[in-house]
Amino acid sequence: MDSDEDDRIPLSQRPEWSDVTPVPQDDGPNPVVPISYSKEFAETMGYVRAVYLADERSHRALQLTAEAIHFNAGNYTVWQFRRLILEALNADLHDELEFVEHLASKNSKNYQLWHHRRWVAEKLGTEAAGRELEFTKKIFVNDAKNYHAWSHRQWVLQTLGGWEDELAYCDELLEDDIFNNSAWNQRYFVITRHPGLGGIEATRDSEVSYAVKAILTKPENESSWRYLRGLYKNSMPSFVMDRRVSTVCLTVLTTKANCVFALSLLLDLLSNGFEPNQELKNAVEALLPESRDQDSDMAVTICSVLEIVDPMRVNYWRWRKKSLHSEVEEGVRNLRVH
Amino acid sequence: NELRCSFCQTTIIVYHSGWDRHRFQANATIVGSKKLAIMSDDGDLPWRFSADQGLEDQLFDRDRHIRYLEMNYHLLPSPYEGQEIIRLTLAYFTISGLHILDALDRVDREAVINWVLSLQAHPKNEAELNNGQFYGFHGSRSSQFKSLDNGVSVPNNSHLASTYCALAILKTVGYDFSLIDFSSILKSMKNLQQPDGSFMPIHTGAETDLRFVYCAAVISSLLDDWSGMDKEKAKNYILSCQSYDGGFGLIPGQESHGGATYCAVASLRLMGLIEDDLVSRCTSSSIIDVPLLLDWCLQRQADDGGFQGRPNKISDTVGGVLRILGANNFIDEITLRKFLLTCQSEYGGFSKFPGQLPDPYHSYYGFTAFSMLQETGLNSFNVELGISTVTL
Repeated sequence: MDSDEDDRIPLSQRPEWSDVTPVPQDDGPNPVVPISYSKEFAETMGYVRAVYLADERSHRALQLTAEAIHFNAGNYTVWQFRRLILEALNADLHDELEFVEHLASKNSKNYQLWHHRRWVAEKLGTEAAGRELEFTKKIFVNDAKNYHAWSHRQWVLQTLGGWEDELAYCDELLEDDIFNNSAWNQRYFVITRHPGLGGIEATRDSEVSYAVKAILTKPENESSWRYLRGLYKNSMPSFVMDRRVSTVCLTVLTTKANCVFALSLLLDLLSNGFEPNQELKNAVEALLPESRDQDSDMAVTICSVLEIVDPMRVNYWRWRKKSLHSEVEEGVRNLRVH
Repeated sequence: NELRCSFCQTTIIVYHSGWDRHRFQANATIVGSKKLAIMSDDGDLPWRFSADQGLEDQLFDRDRHIRYLEMNYHLLPSPYEGQEIIRLTLAYFTISGLHILDALDRVDREAVINWVLSLQAHPKNEAELNNGQFYGFHGSRSSQFKSLDNGVSVPNNSHLASTYCALAILKTVGYDFSLIDFSSILKSMKNLQQPDGSFMPIHTGAETDLRFVYCAAVISSLLDDWSGMDKEKAKNYILSCQSYDGGFGLIPGQESHGGATYCAVASLRLMGLIEDDLVSRCTSSSIIDVPLLLDWCLQRQADDGGFQGRPNKISDTVGGVLRILGANNFIDEITLRKFLLTCQSEYGGFSKFPGQLPDPYHSYYGFTAFSMLQETGLNSFNVELGISTVTL
């Protein structure tokens, strides 16, 4: 839709529409939250109602749906009708990809647009994989966290393929912004679902190194910490036994950088039966102000420190402290089960 | 003073350049001047933002919010034609909002009931009811078509989310559900459930994700009848959406997200698959990883007091999972309240970010947040259903 609103010729004045009588909206008496429709909107919808009721699947109807979508890109009825017309006309769906791409610049967070795109891509099949991945990349240039684009990309990979360069693409995004939680999530998606990588057991080792490196670069980055923890999902023994986990916590604690996540992960380790060495104990105790008492139980000390360094969640850390006994029992039980 | 300026500056810069918190923090400078005039991206509208707004003195302006909602109730301005398709949802935000603000007397109850009921899709007969379509409520007249007598059959475009809103509105205004047979809704809702347990919102085809599982769960709960959905399948779908970090994504494999997490937890609660006040109970018996979920949710409260939808993103008005888990005393309510008040509009209502114009969606979530913070004069709110508890 390139035409300016000022250039728009009313449908009633277009000769190709002279045979159609628009159907007005019947809002009924006493409608609630009525909208003050513009003349252009009301007219367009009037003609849409006419062709829809006549089930007219023509080129002019196709063009009309584009105009209606321009007014309300969320109108799923119009989008659905457009799909019916495209099928009836046996239209070239590559043109349709162009149409969506053009709309996407101003409607990149519109569910109906993305559903339509998926419908087109599915019809085109695996040949569309490359183009779809490129399309989402273009969206990410302006908004690297666009949720819809990520959903679409995940769907493309699983349905049409194209996994080969995905992990490398995640690397790129994270080099650009190591805080990009969507890219971290995509990493996890790849290592767990890429048909050729062997799953999380095969990739855990290299991914732990990757996560640790990211953590050391920015210890305040919640995403990398959660990713590290996520690598041990359903594998508590590995979590407890991998020295790299406690080592990265220790490193962050001793550099006195933002240590909230390090402390939290350490707490997690302890709850799962990890036995800390003296170096770790000292590092934690060093964070407690002199006015506060140390506790022989390191987990208790950690909670005390967290109450101070993460004051927004002070009530939560106090509750964690009180629940420690049952947490540890729970964690050790889980270890034995494995 | 300086601290407030930097907070204000942070919010302005983050809003205008769409930068994430962390990118901004690298470049932050403290602004000395008290009045900042900012030009928006298109250069047209000057936004005046006073740095010494006296945030701690701001009050929740109930009267102004009521006037804002009343205005919406009577007429929405032209720019809202872009949301015409979800008119029923706008009505829900407005009417439920008024109820939370204890001002439901501003609506014409009969008019509301008649208008909502006029949007219901009715199968002509038993055969039509079993034709695979969903017979719920339309979102607006622009998806509702009266068949002209020309023999062309017109599919109904009733929608799961609109159905949720319709029932919620009817419940809010105290409509007696025994007056109407809603069985066609439940019978045909089954047609929308997918093999993986998710729900499609409309039988003609659309995206399937957690939002519509939630809609189905609320509808079933409000009608007190679970025959319209396979709870076991729905449960499995929800569980498959829990991410490695404890939150829930909208679809399996997707990034954890506040809205999706709310849909997941509220649905499980409504279906009776997780207990009330989970954090006080033994967590190992739960079907979801509660400790991880709790930690994730609490970490969503950012330094400015607001809640982020996802890690390393900007705060906005939304957030309610913690209440369902029984963990709302772990939130820093004072800072949250302060943040919310920065989003309170001088025109009434709330905006997504400070300084923007209000909209019905964020206004509604602002009101529900204040209800949960137990603001005086507001009705209490059922978090799972999205309705004021006074009606239930």
